[in-house]
Amino acid sequence: MLARNAEGLYWLGRYIERTSHLCRVLREQMETLVDRPVREINFGWGRLYGALGRRPPGPAIGFGGQDADFTLADSFALADDLTFEPSNPDSVWNCFSAGRENARQMRHRITGEMWTCMNLAYLRFRLQKPRMADIWRTEPETFYADLSRDVDTFMGAAERTMYRDDGWRFLQIGRYTERVQLTAALLLAQLEEVEAAEETSDHDWMSLLRICHGLDAYAHRYGVAVRSEHVLDLLVTDPSLPRSLHSAADAVARELRALAPAPGAVGGAGRLAGRMIETLRGRQPPEAPAAAAGDDRLRLVGAQCRDFHDIVMAEHVQYAVDEPAG
Amino acid sequence: MDFGEYEIDPAVYDEMFGSDGAPREHSRSLHEALGRLSDAELAEIQERVSRSFLNEGITFTVYSDETADERIIPIDCIPRILAADEWRRLETGLMQRVLALNHFLADVYSDARAVADGVVPEDLVFDCPHYRREMRGVVPAHGTWVAVCGTDVVRTHDGFSVLEDNLRVPSGVSYMIANRRAVKASLRRVYRQCRVREVAHYGRLLRETLRELAPDGCREPTLALLTPGVANAAFYEHMFLADEIGGELVEGRDLVVRNRVVHMRTTEGLRRVDVIYRRVDDDFLDPLVFRSDSLLGVPGLIEAYRHGSVAIANAPGTGVADDKSVYAYVPDLIRYYLSEDPILANVPTRICRRPADLEYTLDNLDRVVVKRVGESGGYGMLIGPHATPDEREAYARELRANPADFVSQPMLALSCAPCFVDGRPEPRRVDLRPFVLRGRRTRVVPGAFCRVALRRGSLVVNSSQGGGGKDVWVLED
Repeated sequence: MLARNAEGLYWLGRYIERTSHLCRVLREQMETLVDRPVREINFGWGRLYGALGRRPPGPAIGFGGQDADFTLADSFALADDLTFEPSNPDSVWNCFSAGRENARQMRHRITGEMWTCMNLAYLRFRLQKPRMADIWRTEPETFYADLSRDVDTFMGAAERTMYRDDGWRFLQIGRYTERVQLTAALLLAQLEEVEAAEETSDHDWMSLLRICHGLDAYAHRYGVAVRSEHVLDLLVTDPSLPRSLHSAADAVARELRALAPAPGAVGGAGRLAGRMIETLRGRQPPEAPAAAAGDDRLRLVGAQCRDFHDIVMAEHVQYAVDEPAG
Repeated sequence: MDFGEYEIDPAVYDEMFGSDGAPREHSRSLHEALGRLSDAELAEIQERVSRSFLNEGITFTVYSDETADERIIPIDCIPRILAADEWRRLETGLMQRVLALNHFLADVYSDARAVADGVVPEDLVFDCPHYRREMRGVVPAHGTWVAVCGTDVVRTHDGFSVLEDNLRVPSGVSYMIANRRAVKASLRRVYRQCRVREVAHYGRLLRETLRELAPDGCREPTLALLTPGVANAAFYEHMFLADEIGGELVEGRDLVVRNRVVHMRTTEGLRRVDVIYRRVDDDFLDPLVFRSDSLLGVPGLIEAYRHGSVAIANAPGTGVADDKSVYAYVPDLIRYYLSEDPILANVPTRICRRPADLEYTLDNLDRVVVKRVGESGGYGMLIGPHATPDEREAYARELRANPADFVSQPMLALSCAPCFVDGRPEPRRVDLRPFVLRGRRTRVVPGAFCRVALRRGSLVVNSSQGGGGKDVWVLED
């Protein structure tokens, strides 16, 4: 397929996954706002901003671990910053709009059903011209739930209708690469917040499970007692949990293997995907510290994921073409 | 819908009604069907048609510094009808015209017989900015320089006449198909009753046409449509047509030329391209030959084309034949190359480079339409009767300074057709852009993009200036 189309589908997958992820995290945070203690609310904001690597709006709030004090912040302003702020490239609306724009440009490479799902959702939201003040007034979590459902419907339409060629595979590689990166960053932010906190609660971990669609699976596998090492074990290494890091990295490697051979490929992307899985399984790759702790492992996966992106682009999309002789 | 208050201006040909106010014979079924619909029902149909364009993303984007506003071309839900015999005449006239224009292009890029024989002035051809010296000596397959032609046709009480030939990158054909799809779905019963000829096979015919233009010995040519990119107003059309022809939609940056062969960058490496349906203007096709600052083009493309390893449709350099000054000579060119009388008339055109024509134009500025030869899209035009004395005076100064840049035509009473405006039928001026395809042979799809001047009293149908569109129903015999 045309290399530019592969790149377009890859980014479509990434933006859609990012939209879905942000919606789930923000929805969880909106529910936390309803009746949870201030400490837990602050924990949630700290985790969210830490995962995104974004400085919260307002000069009074520090950034990262113990410097952060979200009690000074206004949750409305934070939610607005992450949902509609035009200058925030990672706001929910900007990610969704970027995904839709990619879909528009790749419309001839996705199915009519996919386009219809995406475009109708976009037009509906655009018609409503939602602002934070509007969605804040009643149940702000509904906005995130609706958008999240639209993204799920889009991906459902893709599952049902898209031909399983390299276009599909690049869409999937983008989607799962983004998932690895976002989930690793979220788990890392969780560990940093826990370390910085004077106290933690079950809710801090249960909300993480809910964000990753892991709460039911956790109860099924470990029972009702919430233990951080079990939560991490489930979310990092369990191959049966669709949103675990292991499942996502495995999907990346699987789709990559199915791609037609790239012209400039020396197998770098495939090897790196394999190393990511090894890292997640806890088998230490040569570049890892001798006894990598959980957060080191997550940091390493995040770095591997960024390298993976660069190598996939270099091998399949932006490969060098030999200049003609003479 | 009630046509009781529909105004019929005897000076203007109405596509649905005769001057006695009765519907024309071929429009009766549609008129009756519309009469059975309530205004509310028609409003709903109109809304559905517009919404379908938005939902399907048949839009163009208007970019400003901070926003990108996606818009649709407003489509009127009442189709325009052409009787079978009307279409037959149009079709043969258009085919004749496109054949002659192809002969003309082959001629001016070889020994220029028409110039030597005094049919067309030498300077008009060779000083035309759209004449590309780089194309001299090129012989495209089947002598086809213009593979896709969109001819603007207008109707007055005197019949059809050609307003303009679009021979470079004519657009609008996707609207012919999309309008049909939307209107047919909403007026399905009357559509069936009227026995309307289909237009959906345009893509297949375009594909066949492009395949016929493939370089010698290429049996299974790879086709590609070259687009300027997503910012182009016709991007939807480019995407649609690329799909229809079974080709890739490529931008300049997707193509590379190696050893005088054009390739596209795929995920599996370079893949040869045999036929390029280009929707990029000449100037931007190849920075090594035309504009060196072009980022849209492909370095080395023209050399590959001249080498014969790739076909380009329409060929570079076709703009010389749709120049507004050359237009005036097309009837003579038909007689010269085909030894036939033109079937379709031209609009009488005065070429201001001729002193007598300039004098006439200046003396009649309040009665004529003056056009700049290098402009299109309705820009740079003076509609004399609608202009203020100051506007006319300013224009006259420009005319005197550069007469060769202008032509003038009489103000035409473009025909009108009923449109659903503000909940009731109102007459609006229309034109017609049918599309002619030419590869080894000529093909015409029985339909057209009908442009509508939606502003009351306006004669400008261009979408860039408040125009809209209409479906065109060509009836079977």
